[in-house]
Amino acid sequence: MALDQFVSRRRLLQLMGGAAAVGTLAACGGGNGSSSSSKGQLKVIGVGDQEAGLRKALDDYKKAHSDFDFNLSFAPADQVQTALRTQLAGGNAPDIHVVYPGNGSAMSMAQLSKANLLADLSDQSWTQKIPTGFKGAFQNDGKTYIFSPGSSMLGAIYNKKAFATAGVEPPKTWSELLAVCDKLKKNGIVPIALGAQTPWITQLIDYALVPGTVYAKTPDFDDKMIAGQASFADSGWADAMTKYLELQKKGFFNDNPNGTTYEQATSMVGTGKAAMAVQVSAVLPAFQKAAPSPDDLGMFPFPATDVEADNWIPGGVVVGIAISAKSKKADQARKFFEYLGQPDTVNTWAQAVACVPLYSDGEPKVDPVLKPFLPYLKDNKAVPFMDQRWPNAEVQPTHFAVVQELLGGKTTVQGALKKMDEAYRKPA
Amino acid sequence: MTTVVTSVRRDAAKASRRRGGVAPPWLFAVPALIVYALVVLYPALSGAGSAFTDWSGVGAQRSFVGLDNFTQLFHDDQALGALRNTLFLTVAIVVVQNGIGLLLALGVHTGIKSRMALRVIFFAPVVVSPVMVSFLWKYVYNPAPDAGLNAALNAIGLGSLRQDWLGDPSLAIWSVAFTVIWQCAGYSMVIFLAGLEGVPQELHESAMVDGAGTVARFRHITWPLLAPAVTINVMLSTVGGLTLYTQIIAMTNGGPGYATDTLSTVLYKQAFVYGKFGYSTAVALVLAIFVAAVSFIQIGYLRSRETTA
Repeated sequence: MALDQFVSRRRLLQLMGGAAAVGTLAACGGGNGSSSSSKGQLKVIGVGDQEAGLRKALDDYKKAHSDFDFNLSFAPADQVQTALRTQLAGGNAPDIHVVYPGNGSAMSMAQLSKANLLADLSDQSWTQKIPTGFKGAFQNDGKTYIFSPGSSMLGAIYNKKAFATAGVEPPKTWSELLAVCDKLKKNGIVPIALGAQTPWITQLIDYALVPGTVYAKTPDFDDKMIAGQASFADSGWADAMTKYLELQKKGFFNDNPNGTTYEQATSMVGTGKAAMAVQVSAVLPAFQKAAPSPDDLGMFPFPATDVEADNWIPGGVVVGIAISAKSKKADQARKFFEYLGQPDTVNTWAQAVACVPLYSDGEPKVDPVLKPFLPYLKDNKAVPFMDQRWPNAEVQPTHFAVVQELLGGKTTVQGALKKMDEAYRKPA
Repeated sequence: MTTVVTSVRRDAAKASRRRGGVAPPWLFAVPALIVYALVVLYPALSGAGSAFTDWSGVGAQRSFVGLDNFTQLFHDDQALGALRNTLFLTVAIVVVQNGIGLLLALGVHTGIKSRMALRVIFFAPVVVSPVMVSFLWKYVYNPAPDAGLNAALNAIGLGSLRQDWLGDPSLAIWSVAFTVIWQCAGYSMVIFLAGLEGVPQELHESAMVDGAGTVARFRHITWPLLAPAVTINVMLSTVGGLTLYTQIIAMTNGGPGYATDTLSTVLYKQAFVYGKFGYSTAVALVLAIFVAAVSFIQIGYLRSRETTA
């Protein structure tokens, strides 16, 4: 009974001591809150895919400008959504931070610029060089808010040794792809590594197929979707998803793709246990790290149809960076962005992340791995990543989820596309 | 007469201080209450207002939408699916975790020599961060035939039982529930152990003299006197189950598809992935009210069946 109402003096002192200790510890922990940017450093946060290019650009700029200093950190793409959005909401965003081009994600240029969280970069000279076809990824209401070094290609990253073992060459049509996969499988090699437990991986095969099944026939599909004249369910998306499932039904993926992560799939291709993975070129360096030699790996456009001319490719503006509208060091950041916009810097960053530079003086320096994609760019057969024109941030995660459900046998192609259509029609 | 009463009261107070100590002044609680109000109450109440807006979570733009977010919640397949998953996980965790915790407590409350070591072993997972435990089990649940649990099944000749533990939509929620139970059963055990320590040995001895067997003694002595421990364990595991988040995000991110989404992961995704902070706050409010209601009803029932020795 006494315990409910009374505490002995000794216990009281113990409790007070404990509270003091906790207070002291909390105070120690609070030390992290002092921003390094108070020392004059520019605070920069990027995603892992950007590291090679962004770090080099910052290092090079710092070497040339002794008064410039920065504090750079990276986070996996999934964590950026949480950490950065919390900082943005709290009004303490880093001076420079990762932003996704176009629309379709909660961290996209369109969504953040609508909320007045990004600095207008339109007065920077490099913005005049943005190719017309890419402006939608960089601009909202005619103002430029993001810098990106160029466009990433989406296709199959393949292990040349695995292909040689099976005696196959990169396919050019859907039927050839199925034949190649069949031969690889008969040689005991997993044809396509799929780490669908990592949400963003789920979308890539659809993205690789849809340019051929949708945009080659209906180049203005996005405009029709916005106008309400088209839907996922009644379009070539159904064909793409059916083909996605066909690959699974024929046993061309690793066992249990829903239980396999991106990292495991990367390792499978790097080591030759699997022959290929459908991926963006920006992650090629990660695959090369997993391989005995970087030269073991190549890329080819992933064919969607049996008509070679209809096999368009997805080529989207790669994830970029922007200046926070509330940055107190915006002047420094703007000078750095002018430096980024120089063709040499664009080229260097683009090469580091295996993408095609946004523009260049003369012949662009392109990673030889990307050469099979260049004719498609020249012939205007490249389509931006689909989510970049989706009107809200709900369609993309819905796409992730329905693909996992499809792979798990929990829904049908029409059921999956109906959910995507419902998400598309929701208000932004 | 008055002098006598006063004297008696003074003596009683002295005796009370000698016996139990002093009542701590309420003033001592003020700093903690101020911190609690600033860190918990103020953000919670100011955040609750967002449930009636269409705020995206960033920027200043927001419009009042009345009860729209709540109306949408009750027509949202994802949220309703998450509610089903949440209830399933809660029931599984409450029943199995406490059942195992009780068995472990009864086991290590005996006179076996290794009981102290076993207590430490069973309690050890509790002190590990849930994120670390989740990553550990994600490794154990690796679907490859030559890794983790599947490899172990192969090694003992049960290869036919190999599964895609986290990738199969029908199995993933069971795998997550097992992980949570594995980690938290030791916690329930400790609370039950504390309850068992309070059961007077004389009662058992008397019952034994009267010819009561082990089961009868458990049923008529141990179990009724364990009621306070049952109350605490059921309450804690219910609240833990209803608000389960860390293990889900770390192991499955709510997938495959929506198979392991809970109300907590849905409210996180709505706020940070879909950019719908207003709707997310509505989900959070409903969850908070639901947890409070369940806890209130539960504690009322469980307290009513508590007895003392």
